[in-house]
Amino acid sequence: MRKACAFLIVCLILGSATALADCRVHRGEHVVLYSTTDDPSVLMWDSRARLREYHGASFDEAQAMLPHAVLVSPGTHGDVVTCIPGYVVSPLFASPDDAVGVTISSGPLKGTVRWVLGSDVRPRHKN
Amino acid sequence: MRSVSFASVTGTMLLTAFLLLSLGFAVEGSFETRAEIANTFSRQGQIQKAQIDLEELLRLQIDEENLLRGYLLTRDPFYDAEYRTASAGYDEKENEIRKTLGGQLLGADKLLADYARLQLEWRNTVAAPLLAHPRVRLEELDKRNKLFSDYETLTAAAIRRELAGKGDELERSTQRQLDRSSYLRAAWVLAFGLLAIVLNAYRTRLNHELEEERAVTRILQRAFRSESTPLPHCDVGSAYLSASSDRAVGGDVFDVYRLSENQALILIADISGKGVDAAVLTAFIKFMVRAIALRNSDPMAILTEFNVVLSKAVGDPYIFVSMFVGLLNTDTFGLTYASGGHDTAFVRRRDDVAQLEITGPVLGVMEEPFGSETIYLQPGDTLVLATDGLTEVRNGAGEQLSGQGAMELIARASRGAQQLADELAAAVRVRGGSRVRDDLAILAIRVLDGATPRA
Repeated sequence: MRKACAFLIVCLILGSATALADCRVHRGEHVVLYSTTDDPSVLMWDSRARLREYHGASFDEAQAMLPHAVLVSPGTHGDVVTCIPGYVVSPLFASPDDAVGVTISSGPLKGTVRWVLGSDVRPRHKN
Repeated sequence: MRSVSFASVTGTMLLTAFLLLSLGFAVEGSFETRAEIANTFSRQGQIQKAQIDLEELLRLQIDEENLLRGYLLTRDPFYDAEYRTASAGYDEKENEIRKTLGGQLLGADKLLADYARLQLEWRNTVAAPLLAHPRVRLEELDKRNKLFSDYETLTAAAIRRELAGKGDELERSTQRQLDRSSYLRAAWVLAFGLLAIVLNAYRTRLNHELEEERAVTRILQRAFRSESTPLPHCDVGSAYLSASSDRAVGGDVFDVYRLSENQALILIADISGKGVDAAVLTAFIKFMVRAIALRNSDPMAILTEFNVVLSKAVGDPYIFVSMFVGLLNTDTFGLTYASGGHDTAFVRRRDDVAQLEITGPVLGVMEEPFGSETIYLQPGDTLVLATDGLTEVRNGAGEQLSGQGAMELIARASRGAQQLADELAAAVRVRGGSRVRDDLAILAIRVLDGATPRA
């Protein structure tokens, strides 16, 4: 009985942790890129570390990092390669955001793999 | 009785003072709480205005960007002009928010400064090159525009959070102040209620004590009142003023008592002290002197015997009595008297007034022998006996009337005994003001004009 209870508690804790750590998108998922800031274009970064640095940096530091980013139009398609939950933190964010690796599947940069903020990707619904 | 009254008055005053003090604190506390709440409301108003202005600012900023895009796409100078108008509006609104915040919200102020700096840099590094070369669209400028957009969006969100957080905090603070104010009011109401109950109970007790004292006073007045009985061939008048006006009893006493068909005891005495305590002693004097006089026909012997009795009966070295005792023969109008330190005894013969000499010291001090004198009154003569309340009454300048002044008053007074007594009492009231400071007894005995002395 005691073992069953302990197992149940462990399951609950692990389940909660998994739920908390879950990404909004998953590997292989088709997504559309769209930013919810005033400019809906999306900046995509050559590494996840730079993505995180960009959002944690001061404006001047972020400006210096711009050569490492590409700007894609809103509505660009992509496929999720990987996702790291809560990887990007910023003093200006209400809560940490995901870092998502995406292979661009439309537009002039098609086939390029870049890192993008979790809130800038939306699962693509098939009609 | 007097000490109880003093304690009662002191207690009432203390309680009233405490009640007033509490009331003062309550009123002051209410005003303070009101000021605090008003201040909090004012700050909440500031935050709300800043929030509204912030949304307006963001709208102007978006207008600025959209109008720039409009110009780049159409190259219509209209958009260029509108862009500049929006920029000016943005600057004006930003200053307005700064004024509203007034440096009180350091977090929001800093974020707003960051936001303003970003906007300025955007104008210089993105908008200005695009306005100068609308045909040139460089990816670097687009990325930079995106960078600005990201930061401005995030900064605006942070400002919103900061203002909302501060607003919530003020709301909670207001609620706390209102709660505290309510509890305080409840506490004050409770305190006032309790104090009012205590005060009322205290007042009731005082009223009860006062009523008891009044009842005792009424009994004393009945028992100890100085009195005069009519004498054959004589007109008798009297007046009495008590320093304790509400009690009408005091430390002065007079008595006219018929010892036999043609013999009357005439007594006036002044006891050191006044009020109820002295009044009690007057009864002792009145009845004791009557008792002695019934078996002793010499005023000198009456005073001597009474002096012994007084010392033994009272036993208080601080109490002494000045006393005039006379035995008036209503046939011959011969008055034999002894005066124990009582110098306010006068005889008016027509318009001439003479003061009767004292024949010994005040009673209750020493056992010295007393003398006696005999005078004969003629028809129309008036014997005027008073206590020192007559000669010692002071005018506004503090001057006593004195024996001479009293004699002048007596000389001018009406012939009727009662009128004379009333006029003297009125003169004392006028001279001493509305409140008499010392007890006063006046006894006037006038031999009627038609009376014929018999040998």
